[in-house]
Amino acid sequence: MAVMTKQQAKKFAEMSDFFIDLLNLLKEKGIINNKEHRLFLLTGYEKLVEHLEKNKVISSKAAKDAMKNGFTSLVFSLAR
Amino acid sequence: MYGWAGQRLRVDLSKGDIIKEPLSYEYRKKWIGGRGFNSDIIYNEVPPEMSPFDPRTRVCFGMGPLSGTAAPSTGRVTVSCKSPLTGGFGDSNMGGHWGAEVKYAGYDQIVVQGKAKKPVYIWIDDDKVEVRDASHIWGKFPRDADTIIKEELKDEDIHIVLIGPAGENLVRFACVFNDVYRAAGRTGTGAVIGSKNLKAIAVRGSGGVKIANPKEFFEICNRLRQKFKDDPMKIGLNTYGSLVLINFANRDGWFPWKNFQGGATPLANNMSGETHSKTVLKHREGCFACPICCGRFTEIKEGRWAGEYFGGPEYEHAVPTGPRVGIIEDANDIWHNARLTNDLGMDGIETGAVISTAMEWYQRGLISAKDTGGLDLEWGNEEVVDQLIQDIAYRQGFGDILAEGGDRAADKLGLGDKGHYYTITTRGMSLPGDDPRGLGFGYGLSFAVGTRGGCDHLRSLCCLELSGALYPGLNTKYLGDERPAKPTTTVGKPYMVYYEENQKAVTDCLNVCCFTTHWSYAVLTQDQLDYFNTCTGLDMTLDEFLEVGERVYNLERAYWARLMSGAREDVVPERFTKEPMPQGVEYQTNVGATLPIGEMLPKYFKYRDYEPGTGFPSERKLKQLGLEYVADDLKSLRKKYMSEAEKKKKKYYY
Repeated sequence: MAVMTKQQAKKFAEMSDFFIDLLNLLKEKGIINNKEHRLFLLTGYEKLVEHLEKNKVISSKAAKDAMKNGFTSLVFSLAR
Repeated sequence: MYGWAGQRLRVDLSKGDIIKEPLSYEYRKKWIGGRGFNSDIIYNEVPPEMSPFDPRTRVCFGMGPLSGTAAPSTGRVTVSCKSPLTGGFGDSNMGGHWGAEVKYAGYDQIVVQGKAKKPVYIWIDDDKVEVRDASHIWGKFPRDADTIIKEELKDEDIHIVLIGPAGENLVRFACVFNDVYRAAGRTGTGAVIGSKNLKAIAVRGSGGVKIANPKEFFEICNRLRQKFKDDPMKIGLNTYGSLVLINFANRDGWFPWKNFQGGATPLANNMSGETHSKTVLKHREGCFACPICCGRFTEIKEGRWAGEYFGGPEYEHAVPTGPRVGIIEDANDIWHNARLTNDLGMDGIETGAVISTAMEWYQRGLISAKDTGGLDLEWGNEEVVDQLIQDIAYRQGFGDILAEGGDRAADKLGLGDKGHYYTITTRGMSLPGDDPRGLGFGYGLSFAVGTRGGCDHLRSLCCLELSGALYPGLNTKYLGDERPAKPTTTVGKPYMVYYEENQKAVTDCLNVCCFTTHWSYAVLTQDQLDYFNTCTGLDMTLDEFLEVGERVYNLERAYWARLMSGAREDVVPERFTKEPMPQGVEYQTNVGATLPIGEMLPKYFKYRDYEPGTGFPSERKLKQLGLEYVADDLKSLRKKYMSEAEKKKKKYYY
């Protein structure tokens, strides 16, 4: 199931600073909890991608792409 | 116990007490060491309303659990106090070998309080600690005092922390050295030490540092040392020192030309690392356990300063009393000025800043020769700069006013807001030699919010934008985006600054050199955690580790909040937001740039969880960090900060 709509993904892709908003959305959707929100805020993007892959929120291929091409790739994966 | 020595040495110079205090497991885990230990002492033992020169104030020297080990570049020491320059939280950090020696003597931290009746120095010989007469070295340059103490103690291998004449004369930006040339330059720690009649702390340590898992620890250290071999930043720093930045700074328009009236000049190469190494470089010298070895020694060979010899300079030491005051034609003048600020014991940044500010006041007719005691403050006038450096250190004539720092000098001269416009300060501290219109907007943001005065490149040290392009994929790893590697963009900068501030704070708690972890990214945060855990035997997780940095950062921010300094004071000098960068050289990359600080601050506040309005750390955040007592301290102050009376106050320093 998609975590966000394509419209939301597009909006994220246009943001100049996206990370806290993405974490907030993931928390709102129940993908991550409070503790994890805090953990990823402190440790950064790569740890979030690892977590999403481990919990099968995104596929291994999507995780690889997210690390290669950055967050735009990630948010569109989350919209699929 | 592994890593830590496990005790603090406290010396009360008024009472003559020498106390050794154990540091509990919980305490060590909460603050790690260095900047963490020091910030805790300053917050809890130096009330914000206390004068920085009150005998009851503290000056702290903090080492980390890795100090004295083989981990890369573990020779740093953090020196902290209530800053006489800003009136707020102050600290500075120096390399050398002294920190390792203190660990070998058996201490993680030294806290000095009280005031001696006459000049003294402290002699630490492992367990034996004594306070000795220093009347005979009072007034001496650090290099001479260092020699005398070593002769007196009959050991040339001991390591000594020292202040120069400027510290004795309470120049508000006096600094402190160890190994003669390694300076903790900023925030005026040397003046606080001088106010205690303390000239030096000499140390001999014969112990060691116990490592919890030696095999793993040394494997990590060896692996990291291998990484430095081909590291691009290491190669540049080793070959040319931090002067390697000169030509880049000039190209990208962050060279501090004439108090930041420009960002580039055609003659910049006169003082580049390339030129320095061909003309006056005597030899290179590294700090304790350092694989980079950026330190250099200079010997002037020609001209009126021929024969002068000293340790340095670094980029930030050389540019303030060089291009910032309009001197660029003869680099020997720049090396001489750097030598002079070293010998006299002053922060090179603040010295050049206050002289260049006075030059701009003079240029714009705000002051005249009548105010300066007849000195002609024309840009590039080396005779006057040479004279003023000495007059500041000895508090003579116009130099006595400048010894107060730019903002206090503006008030003493009655120059009003116009005068303050040209001081290029935030919260009373001057910008280093890095114009954020070119260096990067992330740096610009951190200049506004830094917790040891603003205008500080070392609080975030957001090298993800300075050297990020040299490490492809690194910005994506942490920030999810490569675009923040471009300096002059706001993209990703609020999170970059938040991340780097926490990361830098934890680096300062370990007291590891930031050239290994920020400029160069040979040592990543996970590597730091790995050598920390294998050294100490702890099993800290990455988020717990970075949370220590966040805790330290918020504690320091809270100290400023107690001084009624918050969101309204999170500003950068107006020059950077109002004046588009002019063209200095044909190839300059940032012509027309201004700093869009307003675009980044609100988002940054969200990352920090600062309270809207006050900009104080929220109660929720402080409790999350185990700082409930700090939340209590700020409770009544939040309302006060938002009062009309407070809003009307102009706060240039505290």
